[in-house]
Amino acid sequence: MGFVKVVKNKAYFKRYQVKFIRQQEGKTDYYARKRLMIQDKNKYNTPKYRMIVLVTNRDVICRIAYVCIEGDVTVCATYTHEPPEHGVKGGLTNDAAVYYTGLLQAHRLPNRFGMDKIYEGQVEVTGDEYNVESIDGQPGAFACYLDAGLARTTSGSKVFGALKGAVDGGLSILHSTIQFPGYDSESKEFNVEVHRKHIMGQNVADYMCYVVEED
Amino acid sequence: MTRYTSSRSFRKRGVVPLATYMGIYKKGDIVDIKGMGTAQKGMPHKCYHGKTGRIYNVTQHAAGIVVNKQVKGKILAKRIHVGIEHIKHSKSRDSFLKHVKENDQKKEEAKEKCTWVPLTRQPAPPREATV
Repeated sequence: MGFVKVVKNKAYFKRYQVKFIRQQEGKTDYYARKRLMIQDKNKYNTPKYRMIVLVTNRDVICRIAYVCIEGDVTVCATYTHEPPEHGVKGGLTNDAAVYYTGLLQAHRLPNRFGMDKIYEGQVEVTGDEYNVESIDGQPGAFACYLDAGLARTTSGSKVFGALKGAVDGGLSILHSTIQFPGYDSESKEFNVEVHRKHIMGQNVADYMCYVVEED
Repeated sequence: MTRYTSSRSFRKRGVVPLATYMGIYKKGDIVDIKGMGTAQKGMPHKCYHGKTGRIYNVTQHAAGIVVNKQVKGKILAKRIHVGIEHIKHSKSRDSFLKHVKENDQKKEEAKEKCTWVPLTRQPAPPREATV
């Protein structure tokens, strides 16, 4: 084993270009961010709202924010540790909690703009596909885009649980049922019942019963 | 020549800072044109690099700009569409707009006090004599 040339020598450091801080920290995906935040120039100052869903180990955060040169402005944020304060019990990072948080977000947001009670969203939880329709003569439904951040958007992901909650609550977010739990990718069919069970936490309850029986 | 003008600066390559895309451009704004090698779409022709023009149209990702181009013996006012990445607000207009604001304020104050204030800008005078 002879001498190996040192790769990280002075010349290397002199020429090294650091990535953006948030990219180095592994927090932002600039490829996605550029496409999510840019507003068409012929829409001038109209903010482009995005619903950011961040799943942490113990919590799920739903935020609605828009981009500003000084820094992103958060319009509204909800956390899964809030439902317990309103009396909803259960785990904080399961599908049901995340759905509820999305729902809470959708109901809280129009308040900020003074347009609550115009769009009620879906009153009954069916797990079925639902898209808010704007009512003529009233302010249009609040439109935003889902920002999954760095989460891998696999089917059944909690990010989509929050999305479903928000959509059922009355926000207008472009989506399809392909990534919801209950979608069969082979037969390309969406099983509404399975999705509904996930939303209601039935899958957790069923597993608990199964485990109890086993003992 | 274009090898250097269209290339990115040392250690400034790669992902474009997103503030470039956040600028609001309106009709009548004065903008500088500077081609950016990272974004190949909507690039201005090399003869417009470094030119300043006025926006006459705004589309989704670009602005239509009226720029003066010298062609042999004459200067033509050309209309080109340039992507947002290659444009930035010109500061040439800022000093004038600031001057207008100051003038308006001076006029208001002078009106209240019923005096007359000279509003024209004066070039910097020669320095005072020092022995």
